[in-house]
Amino acid sequence: MTQYAFSFDVSRCSGCMACTVACQDQNDFVSDDVVAFRHVTKYEQGLFPAAQIFHFSLSCQHCGDAPCLTVCPTGAIFREAEDGTVLVNRNLCVGCHSCELACPFGAPKFPEDGKAAKCDLCHVRREHDLKPACVLICPTQALDVGPIEELSKRKAEKASVMIMKSLVIGSSENS
Amino acid sequence: MKSESQISVQKLIQAKIPGKETGVEIKKSICSICGVQCGIDAYVKDGRLIKVEGTKENPSNRGVMCVKGAANRQWVYNAERLKTPLARKGDKGAGEFLPISWDEALDRIASRLNEIKEESGPESVVFFTGYPKWLRPFLKRLAHSFGSPNYCTESSTCFLATVLANRLTYGCAAGPDLKGTKCILNWSSNPHYSSAPMAGLFTRAAEEGIKIIDVGPLNTTLSRQADIHLCLRPGTSGALALGIAHVIIEEGLYDREFVDNFTLGFDEYRAYCARFSPDVASNITGVPAEKIAAAARLYAISKPAAIINSASVTVHHTNGVQNHRAITALIGLTGNFDRPGGSHVVPTTYYHRPTGLANQEDEFEQPRSWSDMAVRVGQERFPVWSELITEAQATDLPFQITTGKPYPIRSVLGFGVNHRMWPGASAMAEALLKLDFFVDADLFMTDTARLADIVLPVCSSLERSELAIQGSRHATWTEPAIPPVGESRSDVDIIIEIARRLGLDDPLLVQGHEACLEWMFEPSHIKIDDIKKHPGGAFLADRTEIPYEKYRQTGFPTPSGKMEFTSQVLKAAGLDPLPTYKEPVLSPVSAPDVATRFPLILTTGARLPMFMHSRTYRMPWMKRLRPDPMVDINPVDARGRGVAPNEWISLATPRGAIRVRANVTELVPPGVVSMYHGFPGADANDLIDPDYRDPISGYPGYKSLLCDVKKLDNQGGAA
Repeated sequence: MTQYAFSFDVSRCSGCMACTVACQDQNDFVSDDVVAFRHVTKYEQGLFPAAQIFHFSLSCQHCGDAPCLTVCPTGAIFREAEDGTVLVNRNLCVGCHSCELACPFGAPKFPEDGKAAKCDLCHVRREHDLKPACVLICPTQALDVGPIEELSKRKAEKASVMIMKSLVIGSSENS
Repeated sequence: MKSESQISVQKLIQAKIPGKETGVEIKKSICSICGVQCGIDAYVKDGRLIKVEGTKENPSNRGVMCVKGAANRQWVYNAERLKTPLARKGDKGAGEFLPISWDEALDRIASRLNEIKEESGPESVVFFTGYPKWLRPFLKRLAHSFGSPNYCTESSTCFLATVLANRLTYGCAAGPDLKGTKCILNWSSNPHYSSAPMAGLFTRAAEEGIKIIDVGPLNTTLSRQADIHLCLRPGTSGALALGIAHVIIEEGLYDREFVDNFTLGFDEYRAYCARFSPDVASNITGVPAEKIAAAARLYAISKPAAIINSASVTVHHTNGVQNHRAITALIGLTGNFDRPGGSHVVPTTYYHRPTGLANQEDEFEQPRSWSDMAVRVGQERFPVWSELITEAQATDLPFQITTGKPYPIRSVLGFGVNHRMWPGASAMAEALLKLDFFVDADLFMTDTARLADIVLPVCSSLERSELAIQGSRHATWTEPAIPPVGESRSDVDIIIEIARRLGLDDPLLVQGHEACLEWMFEPSHIKIDDIKKHPGGAFLADRTEIPYEKYRQTGFPTPSGKMEFTSQVLKAAGLDPLPTYKEPVLSPVSAPDVATRFPLILTTGARLPMFMHSRTYRMPWMKRLRPDPMVDINPVDARGRGVAPNEWISLATPRGAIRVRANVTELVPPGVVSMYHGFPGADANDLIDPDYRDPISGYPGYKSLLCDVKKLDNQGGAA
């Protein structure tokens, strides 16, 4: 089985929050009950003049060993066979909130009908070759989606290029 | 029981997958919440907008969008959308209206405007437009065909003062030329929040090793990514730029060939810069001297290097135009003017888009010469503005309405008027109530529309047709993606209909939208029908490239024909020809007595991702991201005042106070607080005196004044 996941590049994120609203737009979260399946958090480090501000955009991680799936008493939470996405069958959900208690990331939400809802990695969109709404909109391409192996490979290559560039620039400056 | 295929179609509809079986169609449109004009893929089902995405082939946004654009559904279907024309029922400003028909509204407007023209002259009617810009050529033509010189826009407080500053020095404006640049000097723009779809270029530039110098008081994503961040005291850009010039000149890093052959007043400029050593500049700006020197060297040695400005940050100061001139003088000084990777002079098209396409837009807009019309609003106070900018200066409007000097203003025909644009916003609102006849056309029942006698409902960009041309010569003609909400109509159609009913002698304007556009672009042989063939837009083919270093053949379009370190236009107007530095009128240095009571520096209007002036507060998804008005304050200043994060505080200036929450953050340095403007009920612009303006441009000093912050006893409730 291929495991699909999000990747997130903290150095690129500006905290613009387009991902959260794209999620609301895709999923019709027009009421106040469900904010979005994505949450952006600001983190400030250090004091002026050395302070730096970072942002983190977090959603369901579609964990390999998903605690929500383990604790769900009705089997409503299951792993999609094709791409490893953790999904909710809302017909089976009884609204017990066990998943919410177990999830370390605050991913499960409970809209007006009281049943669990969470990020499904826009899996129907992906079946039609469309990226998840949050990934597609991200102005700095801080968010991405793909099979975990591919995401890791891309990160490794990007980091390698950065290291090589710094070595080349470093040596040319020393010469 | 539903069949499996029904369930699967239901799933597709829920996921909004376009296709025949779901009935979801993608229609191409553009976003008009701000001025970037990003392409929108509008997902439409049964005539309703159900989702938006960025258009991949649009060169402005290349498929991405900002947070505001993502919320277009709440812009289009907002609860405050106007549905019918309205006529005032009760007292002026009471906000009571009765629906009327379009015919009645347009007839009443035409007959009243003609009456006022008859009684007081055409100049007593002001034609004003806010955002967006697409209707401007039409409204300006209407104003001048009517006989009024008083066409004015929100550009009286945004963008055009930077054009003015560039025209004073170079005779023309040049934009940054980023392809092939080695160094970007970003002077007080926060692209991640002001034009997010284009901010990726900075991220890519940083990752590619292009040097980035970021100038600005705020601690932003870009300042974090930059090689050098010059965190300056708001309002001191001029001194910083002169300090940078000092280093470049003293260390011989300037472009002698350019300076010797193509500039005027270098010796005076050099002598003036000599007074701004890094230590002196550091004292004024708060930026460490060694950082100023390092930035000067990096910028001057990197060839080529480009300067990026914000549309207004540098000119929203009481010394704004001169500060901006000091910054842009660095371009010529280092020989980066009109050179690849430095800057590029490209004539603009269709409202400030640098396309270089031949057009007769100016002739279209101005069917009557200035000499055949009365003096413009603001012309006596700001003659340099009126000499170089083809609009009235609207910041003078409340003064002229109130005093009747030099002649009475009796009526405003406005599109998207927002009194919160004016410094001392409440004074502008009061002035509007003094008019005999105020018409406002808008999408929403705004606080300004409430002051009108007749309110007209306009439609959004998704409900109309319009032409958008990007700087890259990418042209789009949109068709309505959805039917208009209520009886709303497009601004241009309203303008043309008013022109018809006014009985003006203007056979071109009354021919309609497309005919006028074709007339404007006739010199380029651009046909709207050709553009229509490409729903998402296309690059205009076979256009000659605009060359660089044109000044070598033609000189500069200044009085001297050179780049003017010493502006001859300013000299003739009795103003200082050098880009001199003056402290903001309200600063701890210039007004120490005021600073004892108001010791903090207030800077307003720095972009937040979710707001665009006061346009998006009414959108629930945006409001939820920042439900209450908040002022950014450094932990040091908050602690010193016993203010804890998120507490309600009073933000006060000599003019007044507003109740806001404290956003305790390192975003701002100690001593500086930053407040977004236009928040209903807590408008920072109301804290600024209506006459706190730059003497050359008339622009408000929104980005540097004095204030204080105090914890409030009453911590309950909302704003």
